[in-house]
Amino acid sequence: MERLPRGRHGLSPEFVAQNQRQRLIAGLTEALYQVGYQKTTVSLIGERASVSKSDFYKHFQSKDECFFAAYEEAIEQIRKEVVDSCARNEKAEWSLRARDAIAALLAFLARDPALASLSLVEGLRAGRGVYDRYQAAVESFVPYLRRGAPDAPDGASVPAATDEAVVGGIASLLGRRVLAGEAEQIDQLLPDVLEFALTPYLGVVEARRIISAG
Amino acid sequence: MDAMAELTAEQGYEATKIADIVRRAGVARKTLYDNFDGKEEVFLGAFDSAVEEVAGQIDEACADAGEDWVDRVSAGLGAFLGYVAEKPAIARMCLVEAMSATPASAERYDAAVGRLVELLRRDAPPGSGLPETTEETLVGGVAWILHQQIRRGQAEQALDLMPQLLDFVLSPYLGVGKQKP
Repeated sequence: MERLPRGRHGLSPEFVAQNQRQRLIAGLTEALYQVGYQKTTVSLIGERASVSKSDFYKHFQSKDECFFAAYEEAIEQIRKEVVDSCARNEKAEWSLRARDAIAALLAFLARDPALASLSLVEGLRAGRGVYDRYQAAVESFVPYLRRGAPDAPDGASVPAATDEAVVGGIASLLGRRVLAGEAEQIDQLLPDVLEFALTPYLGVVEARRIISAG
Repeated sequence: MDAMAELTAEQGYEATKIADIVRRAGVARKTLYDNFDGKEEVFLGAFDSAVEEVAGQIDEACADAGEDWVDRVSAGLGAFLGYVAEKPAIARMCLVEAMSATPASAERYDAAVGRLVELLRRDAPPGSGLPETTEETLVGGVAWILHQQIRRGQAEQALDLMPQLLDFVLSPYLGVGKQKP
């Protein structure tokens, strides 16, 4: 994020403050991706954001507080991708809605590997506070998958734990790939993730048909 | 290491201090430092030994189950859930705390998931035409459900999850609801 011009610029103090806050969050996300949690210090975040240390503390009481803010913002952005995709397909069948939402999610993470790392791997090192947010975030995606999901083919019922296990399993797989430094290629997992997510509800034949039609 | 598991389960990794560990374990601070470099080393030691133990139990259960892959996978999953039910504190340490405790513990967690993936791959039917990542996602899904169960304070009832989780694990290979639990 670009820093604002120095000196007189006629921008309101609120605008400047908001801009600084956003730069700090972006600075943290970038630093975290490049050097990891332990080396992401307040000084480094400030340096990346072109914000002084004393200004940092006007926005956040501690490094962890900055982490919480960055984390929540990252999750909001990811959620927005999924929500927007679902909204575009409001009238479509469940299978198409699920397929496009998962595709949007993976494409978004691949475009922004630093954000993928913050939300799925490196951010969790900030301890309990962020970890609780991770767990709540993973859970919050379950209703999107569940809404309108069909029962399994041949009249078999999908066990209640399946939705959660599918979402948790995908989060785990994506986290493992990000940890392995493959965040930028994460969208290449799309066919795998789709087959995993759709098969419990549609059966493998129908799931593959939907995926290849995508 | 047992004291570490208990304390982490009760209050989390961050809040657990060396002083708490030596008090709970009834050993001198010096004894701890003779054996470990510090708190993280104790945690990693406890984690590693738990993974060895659970992988051993899973392996043994699979071996006892015979040749049929469904029986073997089912026995392996049962052994995993049984371990969680029997050792809730250790299970919490490994499945809930390890992911966020330290960078090293997160890598160990990842490696432990990898180990369970190998065990499942070994017994899964070959030539299923499923994506390569299937077993990874399945293990991740099972770990997540156990994670939720532990956080709800219901680790002791982990075996109640057996029918649902078995269905989940076998469904890519067999189709949903096809196997008799």
